[in-house]
Amino acid sequence: MKKQALLMLVLLVAATLTGCQSPGRNPAGVYGTAGEYGATGSIPLAGRFTGGTEYPGLFAPVLFAYDSSQVSATERPKAEAVSKHLKQNPSMAVIVEGHCDERGSREYNLALGERRALAIRSYLTGLGIEANRIQTKSLGEEAPSTPEHDESAWSLNRRGEFVLYY
Amino acid sequence: MKRVLLLCLSALLLAPVSNAQVRVVKSADRKLTLNLSGLRVAGDPAAQIFFQTLEKNLRLSGWFEPLRGSGELLLSGSVNRKGGDVRTTCQVIRQADRATLFSKGYSIDADRARTLAQRVADEIVEAVTGRKGIASTKIAMVGTRSGAKELWLCDADGGSVSQLTTDKSIVVGPNWGPAGDRLVYTSFMRGFPDVYEVNLRSRRRKSLASYGGLNTGAALSPDGKTMTLILSKDGNPELYVQSLSRGKPQRITTTLRATEASPSWSPDGQNLVYVSDQSGTPQLYIINRNGGRPKRLSSRGSENVAPDWGPNGLIACASKEGGRYHIAIINPTSGETRYLPTDGADYEDPSWAPDGRHLVAARSVRYQSSLYLLDTVSDAPVALVHGDGNWLSPTWSPR
Repeated sequence: MKKQALLMLVLLVAATLTGCQSPGRNPAGVYGTAGEYGATGSIPLAGRFTGGTEYPGLFAPVLFAYDSSQVSATERPKAEAVSKHLKQNPSMAVIVEGHCDERGSREYNLALGERRALAIRSYLTGLGIEANRIQTKSLGEEAPSTPEHDESAWSLNRRGEFVLYY
Repeated sequence: MKRVLLLCLSALLLAPVSNAQVRVVKSADRKLTLNLSGLRVAGDPAAQIFFQTLEKNLRLSGWFEPLRGSGELLLSGSVNRKGGDVRTTCQVIRQADRATLFSKGYSIDADRARTLAQRVADEIVEAVTGRKGIASTKIAMVGTRSGAKELWLCDADGGSVSQLTTDKSIVVGPNWGPAGDRLVYTSFMRGFPDVYEVNLRSRRRKSLASYGGLNTGAALSPDGKTMTLILSKDGNPELYVQSLSRGKPQRITTTLRATEASPSWSPDGQNLVYVSDQSGTPQLYIINRNGGRPKRLSSRGSENVAPDWGPNGLIACASKEGGRYHIAIINPTSGETRYLPTDGADYEDPSWAPDGRHLVAARSVRYQSSLYLLDTVSDAPVALVHGDGNWLSPTWSPR
């Protein structure tokens, strides 16, 4: 019972975190203070993984809305599948790749892609995956999965991909 | 770059410049007509290249309208081949009072005829207008011609296009160091977005930032001692400033619900303009290099991205309005915003030329991108580098 309550709390924190990360949710442009930043549990990134091999394409990518870095409720099961796999294989890690559609500034999209990867990372840590097993990597608009220039291609290209690492 | 040029040139002063202080042009609004017919050009290919390059760069300077047969100013002299060299004497004479505004002779190895023509164009611009030209400067850019996104270089007139990197990877956001001898940029050559510096003389590279997560947006301060960049190592993409000689990156912004991108230094090195989406859309903000409270700058347009703070104190950026990106110029003191005239294409990633009058930008039509020279005074956009791949993220060198 106690364990279940703890899990609920973790999920709630994760949902709050990812919910807050949509820039659209902060129209007033409030700047966080250092204290506020720490309080939300933002976790520094560890150094780069070395010595292993990357295994891309084993999990379905999480898709994002335009200009958003929020992991929507319908996309969460995809991250949950990865979480389950990592729990079953404690020696494995994951690189979360953030991608954007081709519209807009290349440099801004690189930053937005990183926000998407970090949103997925924070959802995974909320599910109990250790932060040091998750590395983020933004490719911005540089590596579309679908080459066409229309809404349907763009919606597939705004994504977070999972690359297993071990 | 300039020092290299001086060493390579052997300029022979054949005649003294008389009346060097004469300034013909008071305002950039009106072009001076320049009659090129007085220059006798030999049929030799190097002499022809010299003349074509000189005419093109005088036109692109924005100050002259080159003509054949008439004009307020007369260009006279000769261009000849002598052995392995191109030799030229050039005079600029004001027709109204026959005053000699410029008179000089040069000799250079024939395969450097373009370099000489660029130098002569700059010297004529300065002798006639009192302003320094840009013909001898360079543009760095990202090109896809080889199949990957590599760093490329070209001259200010779009000529002498050459590939700088061969990493078969992705380059984003190149910026020049203040001495024009190096570039800082983001590359995925080791799989992750890291910041590198390449020295253009030695072609040697070094890694400047490779923390966990994102390392990008690097720009060197006007004194060359400090770098600003975007890092996500602390858990969210934020703006940082770091001394190049010592110490760790110092965090400048704290926007846990937003991301920062594309910082650019003010000419005095005291402030930074950058992109943040803390309001819900990417917009421009200015912050002191030591931190503090940022001030929002952009007011027009649904998005404002890729700012470049020019030597003239004005900030150029790509501003989205009516579904298209336009080049906007913002006065950071008054907030006044001006859109450059547009032709239905998207214009992005502007970079100021060191004359503070021209910009280079990426112009895209139907997902094909090329580089265009833009004039903030009067001239229509001119294609600089186009075709055989996409040309992106241009950045203009200092003098």
